[in-house]
Amino acid sequence: MSVPTTAAPGAPVVDLDLADLRHDPYPAYAELRRTAPLAWVPSVGRHLLTRYDDIVHAEKLPEVFSSREEGSLLLRTVGPNLLREDDPEHRRLRAAAEPPTRPRQVRDQWAGAFERTAHELLDRIAGRGEADLIADFAEPLAAANLALVLGLRNAGADDVAAWSRAMMDGNSNYADDPDLWLRAESATRAIEEAVAEAAAIVRREPDGSVISSMVHAAEPVSLAEIQNNVKVIIGGGVNEPRDVFGVGAWALLRRPDVLDRVLGDPGSWKRVFEETARWVSPIGMYPRQLTRDHEIAGVTLPAGSRVALVIASGNRDESVFERPDEFDVDRPHRPHLAFGGGPHFCMGAWVARHEVSALAWPLVFGRLKGLRPADSPQDRLEGWVFRGLTSLNVTWHTA
Amino acid sequence: MPIVIFELPDGTQRKVSAAPGTVLMQAAVSNGVEGIVAECGGNASCATCHVYVDDRHTARVGPPNDVEDEMLDFTAAERRPTSRLSCQIGLSDELDGLIVHVPEEQV
Repeated sequence: MSVPTTAAPGAPVVDLDLADLRHDPYPAYAELRRTAPLAWVPSVGRHLLTRYDDIVHAEKLPEVFSSREEGSLLLRTVGPNLLREDDPEHRRLRAAAEPPTRPRQVRDQWAGAFERTAHELLDRIAGRGEADLIADFAEPLAAANLALVLGLRNAGADDVAAWSRAMMDGNSNYADDPDLWLRAESATRAIEEAVAEAAAIVRREPDGSVISSMVHAAEPVSLAEIQNNVKVIIGGGVNEPRDVFGVGAWALLRRPDVLDRVLGDPGSWKRVFEETARWVSPIGMYPRQLTRDHEIAGVTLPAGSRVALVIASGNRDESVFERPDEFDVDRPHRPHLAFGGGPHFCMGAWVARHEVSALAWPLVFGRLKGLRPADSPQDRLEGWVFRGLTSLNVTWHTA
Repeated sequence: MPIVIFELPDGTQRKVSAAPGTVLMQAAVSNGVEGIVAECGGNASCATCHVYVDDRHTARVGPPNDVEDEMLDFTAAERRPTSRLSCQIGLSDELDGLIVHVPEEQV
């Protein structure tokens, strides 16, 4: 099967500048939803699918919209892995890795350590009265928690965070920058070494972590498979909780009335989480490749066509969400697409929900009294494949 | 083909026929039954296809499996003794006439 590298017959061609998308993709997505819900975008080398209903349709047909993508940036960055496999191969790897991320395990096995780590990070900054909540809190928290759940006791939070950044830069390297590839390769080699060491230990002494679960899986998983899948999990496992934390905190700090209501009703942090993930999805899009000819959004795509499911756009679809560009924790609930759907539904969803909405936000807003945004020009929302705040500078009362 | 009935939170009923060998969640989704979200497509990872089996039918349907039991602790609507994930209920002719109640929220 050859891979078409141009527009499918009948598909509109829309030029989008990657720098504009990084800055703010939402105006372009709104225009695409209105005029070209399936469009070939030359700078991305894919057809962008931007309406909610079409994305849900594609997610429900994994046998047509395959995760096995030729020339995938993720495959180049980390090697074969469960995100770029279809069932039953995907299912074998997912079943091996998933048990430690299920919600009861999160609550019973990990939550206590997550909370201690959050307090330790806040202890370090509490007396300062100012901090960057991304670099000083959210990123090290997400990285430390991830190292714990994965079973990488031989790696520090700084290592995991740096590896994640390097691989994510590779995975979104649509501009083919050679320096980014070199950094990503260096990170993946370091992860391979750390995983090999951890796997040898848990082979003798299982510890309930993801690596341990994969080592002892009912259907055997090779060391190379464990290494590659840990790379993928490190990639997503840091930036997604970090970015949801940052964007939600940023949004609330700019809406003191909403923040007051949330602080008075701790049960509402869950709604804040889901609305934040809808409003600015940490993962903006992911690729699929067609296994056979298929008509969608008025275009018949030939087998082999590359498609990007733009969930960031689906989550702003005005036919599903009223005033979609507004952050509104009270909006009538409609399921968002931020965790993806179908067999690839985010494996870290329960970890992230607990880590961010049950622990990180309540602890930060509870302990740092008088928290205010410092309105630093460095604090920018950035990215389209992955989107989050570059920093979140804040001040608070220390007296 | 078994006929199954989804009772929505407002009391309206949706009666759908389902192919034996499929699961209750698929019957809901393929017929557009509102309130069955099924984010993970039937892999017991998301807890968004939660239903309450009608009291008269619980014995026919049986108890949840281990993974499902865990997920049911984290459904958006309250867990009840009759709670099941519809993706884990396999349909057969024995379940013809099954009634399940769709909860108010799934996420």
